[in-house]
Amino acid sequence: MSGNLHQAGVRFLRQLGRHAEPIMDAYLAGSLPDQALEPAVQERLVKDGILYRPEPGADLHLRRVVRALLEEALRDDRNRQIDANTGSALATFKTLAAHHKEARHQGDYAAADAYLADLKEHVYAFGETLGHGIRVLWSRINNEFGYVGSLGAKIRENELAQSQVSELLAGLEMISFEELAETAGDQRELRRLLVTSLQRTVSACSQELSIVQGRLLELLGRFRQIRGRTRLLKGWLLHMEQQPDYQVGNHAAHQNVPQLFNQAAATLAPAAVDIRNPLHEAELLALVAQIRALQPPDRFAPAPADAGELVLGEVEAFEIEHNPIREAVSAYFCQVIDSGQPISALAWRAQQELPWDAESWLYQVIGGYEGLPEEQKRHFELDPIGEAHPLYSGNFIVRDVRLWLA
Amino acid sequence: MLSTKGQVIERLLKGDFICRTTDEDGWRFLKSPANREQVDDYLATLNRMVATVGSGADSDVFFCGYRQLGEDERKVVGQQFRDVCNALTPLVEWLVLVQEAGAQDAPLTEGSALRLNELQSIVEDTPAFREQLARVSHYRLFGSTSASVDGQIKQVFKRLCELGYLVRPNPDKQIYLGTGKLDYLYEVIRFIDETESLDLEQRAESASQGSLL
Repeated sequence: MSGNLHQAGVRFLRQLGRHAEPIMDAYLAGSLPDQALEPAVQERLVKDGILYRPEPGADLHLRRVVRALLEEALRDDRNRQIDANTGSALATFKTLAAHHKEARHQGDYAAADAYLADLKEHVYAFGETLGHGIRVLWSRINNEFGYVGSLGAKIRENELAQSQVSELLAGLEMISFEELAETAGDQRELRRLLVTSLQRTVSACSQELSIVQGRLLELLGRFRQIRGRTRLLKGWLLHMEQQPDYQVGNHAAHQNVPQLFNQAAATLAPAAVDIRNPLHEAELLALVAQIRALQPPDRFAPAPADAGELVLGEVEAFEIEHNPIREAVSAYFCQVIDSGQPISALAWRAQQELPWDAESWLYQVIGGYEGLPEEQKRHFELDPIGEAHPLYSGNFIVRDVRLWLA
Repeated sequence: MLSTKGQVIERLLKGDFICRTTDEDGWRFLKSPANREQVDDYLATLNRMVATVGSGADSDVFFCGYRQLGEDERKVVGQQFRDVCNALTPLVEWLVLVQEAGAQDAPLTEGSALRLNELQSIVEDTPAFREQLARVSHYRLFGSTSASVDGQIKQVFKRLCELGYLVRPNPDKQIYLGTGKLDYLYEVIRFIDETESLDLEQRAESASQGSLL
């Protein structure tokens, strides 16, 4: 028997594998048109319970179980089905437990073991279904119902999820462990399955479900708030459109000003810079440097203006302003050349009654001599006349200078 | 330099709104009741206190309010109320424009990002939005005199940043974030709606259903 089952199962899975393409097409598109498959293949798939025709003349659809298998394997968001039927599961547990007890009582241990294995399978499957339901809920919460577009659809999806959670919780409440313990009686395996293991599953699930419920409510609140805000904005605009002369009442003039409008005036103005604080010197210098950097560079180097028109013409005559003291020095030099005799500068000054004081005259003469071009300078000799300092040796005090031709 | 407490007090006294987007450290600081009490004690000397938008533990936006209202304070509060009311319609029109241009379910709130370039290209491509933007930007609140979409939208964003409704975290990028002051704006509208029984939400819903039919 089990060998047959094994073979049939393998054949079924191979069937699925061989027609993977049309099956996925049906999964994604929702249905398969008749002409998409060869008649023989179509017949076999229908016979094996993979495809079915919901009503005569309709396209072929995937069977719910196959679809559920794919949804689960692909973690598809569209999977919203949650099995909350605790009542029938409980009835199955009790029936199988009764079978098992009866078989044991009659000493048919092989049958009892088979029933126990069957019961185990059902209890574990029950836990798995619950876990799956919660996973589905979480995945929907985690992407905030991102698979539907509008806010209204999200709110509806959220409400659906909430009703599913309440159903699951109501189903879990139906489980009475006293009754189950009674059913299990004094049999250790039954007790372990129906009481200990089931209790653990149920308490973990109900705990998680209450968290899910909290999150769903929170999300719903947020969706509603967002929708409320959108409506507030639109409503305000509508209101202003319908009543253009509407003025908001002065709510700030009430005896008790609402906290919302009790807003203090700004009191802090920016503090001023204290340039005498040595601690700030570095920062201030940096700021000053920045100020310069902020100046547009072209402000310092103005762009060359258009060149004026260049006219070639006679150079206008111009006069160099004569410096009288320099002229006097030239006259002195000329006198030396003319006479060929050494003349002392101060003597010349006295003779010509020059107005400048002695010292500046002497400096001017010395400067005039030093300022001569080298080839002219060679023809003159300038002798200082003076005496050594009486106290400090090496110092020579110049009283006069004498110029003569070399 | 300044401690977080000092910074928070400074910002409050400057008349700023503190929310998670504008000043996360300060916001975290004020979320703790003990810290808030300290700031409150300090502000009490100046006849001020920490006020919140919304109430209770879920209040996420803080600002500075008066502790006691005398004549002068009433004048200030009255003036501010008038300013807020005058700004309501331009701001609401702008928010609706942004929401519709972005084809979003949710209006702009604290922390939501807004890309100027994207908005601009959508508005430029749609004559209805262009008209709407021109109307919004010429309100005195925004004060644009430009005839081009570019100039109008930049002026609106600039003013919104000045008014504290938007922040621009990175000056090199044209990405803006909504601040807690937007939440304040919603609260103000909600308050007016409730006190004057304007029934704004109902009106919007029936209008949208009417347009569906």
